[in-house]
Amino acid sequence: MEDEVIQEPPSVSSEESSCCPICLGPMVQDSYLDKCFHKFCYNCILRWGKVLADKHHSPSSITCPLCKTENFAIIYGFDGIHFQRHSINQDFGDSFILSKDHRFRLQCYYTEQGILDDIFNISQYWKACKYCQPNRWLQSWLRREIQALIQEEDVDIIVHHILGSVNASFTSREHKSHSNAHGKKQEEFRISVSEAARPFLAARAERFVYELQLFLASGLNIEAFDAVYRQRLGWSSAGANTQALRSECIDRTTIIPYLYVFDEDSDGIE
Amino acid sequence: MQASRARLFKEYKEVQREKAVDPDIQLVCDDSNIFKWTALIKGPSETPYEGGVFQLAFAVPEQYPLQPPQVRFLTKIFHPNVHFKTGEICLDILKNAWSPAWTLQSVCRAIIALMAHPEPDSPLNCDSGNLLRSGDVRGFQSMARMYTRLAAMPKKG
Repeated sequence: MEDEVIQEPPSVSSEESSCCPICLGPMVQDSYLDKCFHKFCYNCILRWGKVLADKHHSPSSITCPLCKTENFAIIYGFDGIHFQRHSINQDFGDSFILSKDHRFRLQCYYTEQGILDDIFNISQYWKACKYCQPNRWLQSWLRREIQALIQEEDVDIIVHHILGSVNASFTSREHKSHSNAHGKKQEEFRISVSEAARPFLAARAERFVYELQLFLASGLNIEAFDAVYRQRLGWSSAGANTQALRSECIDRTTIIPYLYVFDEDSDGIE
Repeated sequence: MQASRARLFKEYKEVQREKAVDPDIQLVCDDSNIFKWTALIKGPSETPYEGGVFQLAFAVPEQYPLQPPQVRFLTKIFHPNVHFKTGEICLDILKNAWSPAWTLQSVCRAIIALMAHPEPDSPLNCDSGNLLRSGDVRGFQSMARMYTRLAAMPKKG
């Protein structure tokens, strides 16, 4: 109906302006839409965005409840200088963030570091120069990891950036002559990759580099790596299944002997 | 569920305060169920509904205000956008154009506006819509006025 009398959205009178137009309660965690700058509770506007996404199957924008302007992000956490920004298509729609695997990876960062060290031997990975063998799951693993950590869907540039620094430190040959070459190599890798990751992952950069090494050291594909990880944490639901997967995976890590020989030669140690 | 309850309670308090402000709308919450409301609205002046008092029934979903309330006329009304038998209302804001910033009170205002400005091109009551579309405004008005008198006004005598 085009009737303008009907179409006019209900206005919020000045006395209520401190209330959220959605819950009518006091504003909790002030949030603004990025085009019209109308203000809502963070959770209220997020839930409205979810409703719109479910309805339209094209979750790239959010219609302002007050003025019907199309918006593309929610601005929140404004402290006078800094603010956070939630782009719409990342959080709604195919409930990208809610992917079980992403959540699982995020949870891993809240567990104690090192509980898989007896399964995946990181220092052996460096000693044996297994990095010389390309890991074809690395890019997908990085993508998922970064998506989970920064909770955004489009992470292509970050993945590209980090992958670049990973490959650069893999191929650098500076320390070949040193006696403790693999230790240096690992350190150099740790520093340069965490530096590459820090602008995006902040405090989680160090742990991220550890997890990355764990994944590389596992020599597993993503599903198998997850299965072993979950099992160790006791989060696995299908125990027997992952047990089988795990033993199969462990086998596979030990299956590439030719590289050991080759690289130990070139290292001139052990 | 909790969110909708809290919000409806806010509206309840607001309605208590606003009663005097909008004499055309009287919103009443069911005694035992905050998801059931009724409203009495006055037919707008200079329309065939003038002088009538129309009762609306609200069924509020648990996802309210993210989902619109279901509203229908309990009082019979002859209007292109209201189903003559069921009282169902064809109004965009109750469907696709819903926004959580609407309240039960503002929905009532929108319905009053719809009574004053029928949309004969999306009719639920075809007879009524056809009268208006064929330009028979007098015919429409006399039908609407008759039903207002029959259904929406206190019986005389």
